[in-house]
Amino acid sequence: MKSAITKLILALVAMSIVAGAAVAQDATEIMKKSHMAYYYAADDGVADVTMTIIDKKGKERLREFTMIRLDEVDGGSQKYYTYFKKPSDVSRLTFMVHKNPDGNDARWIYVPSVDLIKPISADDKNSSFVGSDFSYEDVSGRHWTLDNHTLKGDSTIDGKAAYVIESIPKEAYKAFARKVSFIDKETFMPLREEYFNKKDKLVKIFTADKIDVIDGITTVTLRSMQNVKKNRKTTVDFSRITYNRGITADMFSERYLKNPPRKYIK
Amino acid sequence: MRKGLTEFSIKHPWTTIMITVAITAFFAAQFPNMKIDTDPENMLPENEPNRVFDMQTKEDFNLSDFIAVGVVAEDGAFKPDLLNRIYRITSEIEEIEGVIVDDILAPSTVDDIRQGSGGAIVIRTLMEDEIETQQEADYILGRIKANPVLRGKLASDDGKAIAVFVPIESKDMSHRIAAEITEITKKYGGNEKYHIAGLPVAEDSFGSEMFSQMAYSAPAAMLIIFLLMILFFRNMKIVLAPIVVAIMSVIWSMGLLILTGNTVHIMSSMIPIFLIPISVLNSIHIISEFHDHYKKYKHKDATIRHSINELFVPMLFTSLTTVAGFLSLALTPIPPVQVFGIFVAFGIIMSWLLSLTLNPAIAMLISNKTLHNFGQTDEEHGPLSKLMHGFRNISGRRNLSIIGAVLIVVVVSAVGLSMIEVNDNPVKWFKKSHPIRQADEAMNNHLAGTYMNYLVFAGEEDDLLKSPEVLNYMEAMQNELVKDEIVGATTGLSDIVKKVRYELFGGDPADGVIPDNQDEVAQMLFLFEMSGGNPDDLFKFVTSDYTKGNLWVQLTNGDNQKVSAVVDRATNFMQDNPPPAGINVHWAGLPYINIAWQDKMVTGLRKSLLGSYIVVFFMMVFLFRSVRWGLISMLPLTITIMAIYAFIGYIGKPYDMPVAVLSSLTLGLSIDFAIHYIQRIRTIYRRNHDFNEAFHEIFEGSGRAIVRNVLVIAIGFVPMLFSTLVPYITVGAFFLAIMVVSGLVTMLLLPALSKTFKRTLFVAKKKAKAEAVAVQTQNA
Repeated sequence: MKSAITKLILALVAMSIVAGAAVAQDATEIMKKSHMAYYYAADDGVADVTMTIIDKKGKERLREFTMIRLDEVDGGSQKYYTYFKKPSDVSRLTFMVHKNPDGNDARWIYVPSVDLIKPISADDKNSSFVGSDFSYEDVSGRHWTLDNHTLKGDSTIDGKAAYVIESIPKEAYKAFARKVSFIDKETFMPLREEYFNKKDKLVKIFTADKIDVIDGITTVTLRSMQNVKKNRKTTVDFSRITYNRGITADMFSERYLKNPPRKYIK
Repeated sequence: MRKGLTEFSIKHPWTTIMITVAITAFFAAQFPNMKIDTDPENMLPENEPNRVFDMQTKEDFNLSDFIAVGVVAEDGAFKPDLLNRIYRITSEIEEIEGVIVDDILAPSTVDDIRQGSGGAIVIRTLMEDEIETQQEADYILGRIKANPVLRGKLASDDGKAIAVFVPIESKDMSHRIAAEITEITKKYGGNEKYHIAGLPVAEDSFGSEMFSQMAYSAPAAMLIIFLLMILFFRNMKIVLAPIVVAIMSVIWSMGLLILTGNTVHIMSSMIPIFLIPISVLNSIHIISEFHDHYKKYKHKDATIRHSINELFVPMLFTSLTTVAGFLSLALTPIPPVQVFGIFVAFGIIMSWLLSLTLNPAIAMLISNKTLHNFGQTDEEHGPLSKLMHGFRNISGRRNLSIIGAVLIVVVVSAVGLSMIEVNDNPVKWFKKSHPIRQADEAMNNHLAGTYMNYLVFAGEEDDLLKSPEVLNYMEAMQNELVKDEIVGATTGLSDIVKKVRYELFGGDPADGVIPDNQDEVAQMLFLFEMSGGNPDDLFKFVTSDYTKGNLWVQLTNGDNQKVSAVVDRATNFMQDNPPPAGINVHWAGLPYINIAWQDKMVTGLRKSLLGSYIVVFFMMVFLFRSVRWGLISMLPLTITIMAIYAFIGYIGKPYDMPVAVLSSLTLGLSIDFAIHYIQRIRTIYRRNHDFNEAFHEIFEGSGRAIVRNVLVIAIGFVPMLFSTLVPYITVGAFFLAIMVVSGLVTMLLLPALSKTFKRTLFVAKKKAKAEAVAVQTQNA
């Protein structure tokens, strides 16, 4: 009798572990799919981006740039090229990132006024991207394997059914202690993300404000990051989006930093 | 009314007491609603332009008041163990409620711009993690010294001191947060010394210590006054009345202050300490008179009627002159000083009313048996009588010497007055031995300064601050300002641009200059933002639209005089080198606010002092119906003010807020004895028109009362001299000095003058009287 109960308990425990693992697997799988759909759409892409940084008094600062992306390995290394147009006093400034999820990224900047190319340190992925509320990591993506994900349930965002997933960094992380993502069940686009600090205070909210289908690919064309703590917000508007332009890796070299590829930049 | 109030109190002592107790209960019930405000910024009205600009600057550049925590280790602070402990202390400070975590400046929070591998520009936290080796510690010091934005601020060049700047949400939290920081430093501290400084801590701590001082010094003064009165009058019950009068007038005026929605400010917290002696003064005159005449009348009510009758007019006028002194404060442009003046004035009037009612009422309740021996003590051969004989002899026989001596005092005082230096610094409201003073000294000796002023370069046009012309001007201003001995460091957008450019070109000092075209400036700043620089750090120095720039001017000394010198230096520089077109330059910051209100206070109080001096003179002419006597009555007051302020000039004590406000007290109180003296000597003289009789008798009644008052108040304020807060010491010393000087002048100079000019002063009156009699006779 005693052994039967023990067996039963053991069975239940084993089942719950398996079930738990399955759920976890699900959550990780969802985050992976989402990451791929959001950061690795098509093989390459070009877009004009207008970034508006709105401070707590409602004052706006604009940044306009063309962004070119090439995926070398899906879910792996990527290359980014950014050509700034506005503010006009930084026009012709270019910026390049070789993203390497397994190690450190490499970044370069070309400063036209002094005609100088300089590497920029890429150690701190959490630092602000051109003074906005998006960090470098928010722009190029945080690899899903860095966090433990748990499916917390379902929700609806703007009429879209969504998974609610909680992510906790495997190693203590400065940017957030906990993140809650709302992932569209259909397109796997992140509809909303809430970032909490170690005191479990909400610090940042990401929202996908406009989603379009471009060349058959679901694309977030308007997104924003609200900095709750500092009462600031940055909106990012994507326009003239094109995919699969046949971009090659040689474009992401120092030579092109000084001489932007006019083919893609208008 | 003159007789009515006293008659009522004599006939219905219990009713009188019940009514006053009821009113007191009503006002005491307001005390729980007391709102405390210790912010010296409120010395300026909310809409005062300098204050409005200061608030706008704080808002524009997201600036907060901060607490400066200093760590001083004489054998070097840059050691792994100590740096690690500061690292942990900083992270614990981040947990304190009210601390603005993102803006803390500490080795573990500030960013450093440096060169990384391959010539990369790296903007990284100076001390990212705890360290292990001495090499790492030395490296951190080296980085601080190489960064103009950090040098001198975060650490002294000799590496003996490190500073952590803790911004706070509001100034009134600084005392609490400072206490919590002290707890943390105690937990981690070793042999090194920890200091907590900064104007907000000084100001807020002053506020909180002030209240504990009040709780101690007001009752202490009261107790000593009580004991001294018992010693003089040998009757505990009868001297209870002055104490009750004092307590009640304090409760009434503080209660009304709270009821009318005023906050209890540093100034108004001193109301009790001012009211107690002033209200005791009147009562002592009454009791003194009662005491000296009781043996003659042997009837309580008759003695009371006599005393009040004799004293009603002088008491009314001594109260009115003091009221005039304090009410004049209402004309200064400083709200807390206005409130203080008005409510002290109200309290004085109330205490006058209470003296006329409660003293008689309480006296009526004392049984005749208790009073059996009253007035029998201290007669003919007592020390007080001997003293009075002394005064009479000296002023009668050496009248010309006294006048000569006073003239010398006046001349010497005039010289001293010219030596007065107007200066103030809230940190110096604490004694030298106080931890806040020591922290101030230690940190400002080692570091670039705990006093933060801001010089704002404001334009209208977008991107104006990116113009090389403006940045070069800012740099030139910086070079000018650092010539001043108290300017420890200046930091502006110019420094950030130069530092980025320096690192961009690989660390040649020749490259650390302001670019000659605007695009390059913009790109240096963009590079800063791209390289991991926190935009929030940038926007402490420039608004995001680049219309306004903010130059941080760090001072090692907060004395208004020294801060004014820095402000003057900037003004002179701008006169010789006008700012670029479209740029206005204006100061903000707590040290600047302090000089702004000091300016208003000094000129405001000078005017109100002069105004009330004239008002008091006319009151005297009216009271004595004589310009001559009016002029004479002003002498003790004039000499007292001159002597006290000359003394301040000679010893080099700064003329600060408390000293300035005390001029109104000096004015109001110093004339009191003269009023009693003149009123009485003339009354006695009129009786028989015999000068010698009047001169003899004046040293009996009034003289005794004056000396009793001098002793009671002067000694009563001795405990205040041992306060840890300088303004309290100052107030105590003033009461003592006012009593002693004006008492001496009244008891020596006035009799000497009366004697010397007896023909002019008394005969004229006799003639007038004779004429009046003649007219009356004729009419009859």
